[in-house]
Amino acid sequence: MSLAVQVVFTGLSAGAVYGLIAIGHSLIYRLTGIVHFALGDLVGLGAFVTLLVAAGTQPLTQETVSGGRMALGILAGLAVCVVVGAGGYFAVVQPYVGRSAIGWVAGTLALGFAIRAVLDAAFSRPAYVFPDPIPFRRIGNDGLVTILGAQIHVRAFAVIGVALLTAGIASWVLQRTSFGRSLRAIAADAEGAAMVGVRVERARALAFGLAGGIAALAVVVAAPGAPFETGSGALLGLKGLVAAVLVRFGGLWSAFAAGLALGVFEAAIGTGLLGHVSGLASYRELIPLLVAIVLLAVRPLRAREVVE
Amino acid sequence: MSTQTAAVRTGTALREAVATARRSWTDTATAGGAAFALAAVAPFVLGGLIAEDTLASGAYLALAATGLGLCVGLGGVPSLAQGAFVGTGAFVAAHVLRHTQLPAELCALIGAVAAAALGTAAGFAVRSLDSVRVAVGTWLLTWLVALGLGALPWLSGGGQGLVVPTRRLFGLNPTPLVHYELAVILTGLCALALLALRRGPFGLDLAAAAQHRGAAAALGVPMERLRVGAFAASAFVGGLAGGLAVQLEIVADPTAYGPLLSFELLVAVLVGGAAAALGPGVGVIVLGLIALAARALGALAGVSASRFQPMLEALLLLAVLTTGGNAIVPGAIRAVRRFRRVPARPAARAVMPAPKRREHLRAEGLVKRFGPVSAVDGVSFELHPGTVTALIGRNGSGKTTVLRLLSGTLPADAGAVRLGQHELAGLTPAERVHAGLVRTLQSRRAFFSELTVLEHALVGANRTRRYGGAVRTVVSTPLHRAENRLAETRAVAALETVGLAADADRQAGELTGSGRERLMIAAALATNPAVLLIDEASAGAAPEELELLKTIFIDLKNQGLAVLLVEHNLGLVRAVTDQVLELELGRVVPHKPNSRL
Repeated sequence: MSLAVQVVFTGLSAGAVYGLIAIGHSLIYRLTGIVHFALGDLVGLGAFVTLLVAAGTQPLTQETVSGGRMALGILAGLAVCVVVGAGGYFAVVQPYVGRSAIGWVAGTLALGFAIRAVLDAAFSRPAYVFPDPIPFRRIGNDGLVTILGAQIHVRAFAVIGVALLTAGIASWVLQRTSFGRSLRAIAADAEGAAMVGVRVERARALAFGLAGGIAALAVVVAAPGAPFETGSGALLGLKGLVAAVLVRFGGLWSAFAAGLALGVFEAAIGTGLLGHVSGLASYRELIPLLVAIVLLAVRPLRAREVVE
Repeated sequence: MSTQTAAVRTGTALREAVATARRSWTDTATAGGAAFALAAVAPFVLGGLIAEDTLASGAYLALAATGLGLCVGLGGVPSLAQGAFVGTGAFVAAHVLRHTQLPAELCALIGAVAAAALGTAAGFAVRSLDSVRVAVGTWLLTWLVALGLGALPWLSGGGQGLVVPTRRLFGLNPTPLVHYELAVILTGLCALALLALRRGPFGLDLAAAAQHRGAAAALGVPMERLRVGAFAASAFVGGLAGGLAVQLEIVADPTAYGPLLSFELLVAVLVGGAAAALGPGVGVIVLGLIALAARALGALAGVSASRFQPMLEALLLLAVLTTGGNAIVPGAIRAVRRFRRVPARPAARAVMPAPKRREHLRAEGLVKRFGPVSAVDGVSFELHPGTVTALIGRNGSGKTTVLRLLSGTLPADAGAVRLGQHELAGLTPAERVHAGLVRTLQSRRAFFSELTVLEHALVGANRTRRYGGAVRTVVSTPLHRAENRLAETRAVAALETVGLAADADRQAGELTGSGRERLMIAAALATNPAVLLIDEASAGAAPEELELLKTIFIDLKNQGLAVLLVEHNLGLVRAVTDQVLELELGRVVPHKPNSRL
């Protein structure tokens, strides 16, 4: 029982991050019909900019930084994400949407590898420990609380909470604001939306930036749990993509739920909860990938298939 | 006696082959030969500048990239899995080398076959997907192999990798120089194969499918089979490069075959020129220069070169992309052509065209429902050879649905279609084209803008070929060459019928809307059909173009075809048709000759 609770909370806090990235992938796919291969690296960029502003590149001397600097760091990370994401949209996506698939595929990949190379040059240590934005250590037993016999990090609640809040805000923005209405109009019919005065390109560019930015927010909360590398963003982007593919780039909440499910699945396999088949744990990342590839091959995506 | 005639025939065929080769010897061939010779002597010239093993692994990278050129350049398919195929070849070869005493070349070949098997599976999985899903699927596959190698020590030898025993290569001591020359020769052969394929029916079909899937499907291009083939061949070459390179490196490194390798190979292909045979190789040379630059930069900044290399590669690719995708090799070819006049294509020699097919088509009780709506509700008719039938009716009356049921893009809920003795139910559109039933599409964008007018008709004529397969194209068998002439005759005849023979060498994109419409009729005609279904040829046509269409339809009738026209222009209908079918709400109603639409 305690192991199950442990697995569920560990999985949900990892899955919450996947879920937010899946939302980004899903949103971008529905807005432009493309898949953004640099989204994960954009998330990594946001997280590292936050770290840079909040704590610098030196090894951390304390586990937490002041709230003000952290807030400043998060704002800076978000701003960089929006600028790089929107700039990337205009540079490598917009010229090719609907024309040359190889153009935007290569363009977004190049953007991703360029971002990672910049991070590699600026952050030369193999892995970084992020400071906690909130002093979790002071809560419970050195940052741990016991629920149903399982030791749960307080941070896990914060990650899940922040992710839920972010997804909720994103959902509210999509449903209730005029920016959200523009995005939904573009997703339904870009040409029609442009005709009734929606500034399609601007809205899309902003969405490209925000998709990375909001996911970076969750990463900043989650990252202190484990060492974070410059390549971690790309791996998170992959997990988010897998989750989005599992729900066929569906709605916001289904993408989020797929991310959560993926996180719990990985945790369950990884800790041997699902049977004690020896060596199964090594397959925890491979199985979802394989499933996603098979689903991709056999089920149509949401967009209408071109029959002729 | 018979051996003598066989010898004579072989002699003639050989002479012809030499003549063909001499005719097709161009500046490109000279440049390619020079590039090959330069590459072969590079280690002796560059001597101390670049280490031989660096050159050799670069040459294997060029081989893998040239293989990828088949998918990306010819097929226009954004494959991101080449790194995974190289890795598969490398690790399978490494395991075979460790556990058996087989010769080194055979081990590499087994690796290549394993990679080709994975490539076939991947190609089969993405055979009918749009580019977005192909990109995502192949990207996930690259990660699957990379994460798999990282997670499964029994496969990859864990963090240390697998140490690979060295064996003699083709009886030679496997020095880096031997590896290098082998890689250069294989890359050259692969580039030649790519060139032959691009000019042959395989490349033309792939290019057509890449430019407009729907139009290619309507002409019966077997897109799924082509794509599986392109993936398998790409993967085979990639796997071969991996299986040989791993013997050069001595250790199979599980971290070397990740997404970065797939990305680098894609960069090489796109920077050098995706469709040019030498493009990928040139792209790899550029990557090599980048590696040198990165090392210099790294030395300046005092950090490892590996940090700068991907960034420079990404920046280079972004530069190529943002300047309108002007890759190196195609750009150079264009620059040379500006100074040199391209010799005119010799006129096709007259060969007796194959006999026309004359079949009549009978549709009985066709039904198609979309939910509660019956789009087509029990439609029956016959089309006779040498007649034109018009299918008319208001918008939404079911005309295009009838065409789709006939051509097989939509399955019928009930009813039968017979062409002569053939029952067509259950056949794919491509199989129906082979049986002798072809259609044109309504959309004016449904054509291949980057092919020439003649090439359009050749895509159609390819459907009549029996010896147009990839292997026959690469080795250029006598039967294949004889068939080339027949296909060209057929294509030119089709262009003559629609009045486009004089425009044979123009880009299709330069034609007017009506010209494109006629071009697609010609492409359909070149498939040698018995029944031709034409969807709205007259939309937006000027009066003189309407007159031209009338003469074309009368000509088709005289050639013995059974033609079905979906038409809104009643003047055209009255002028050429023998039979009028009027549809109303999915049923055939008696046609009132004076009715207006």
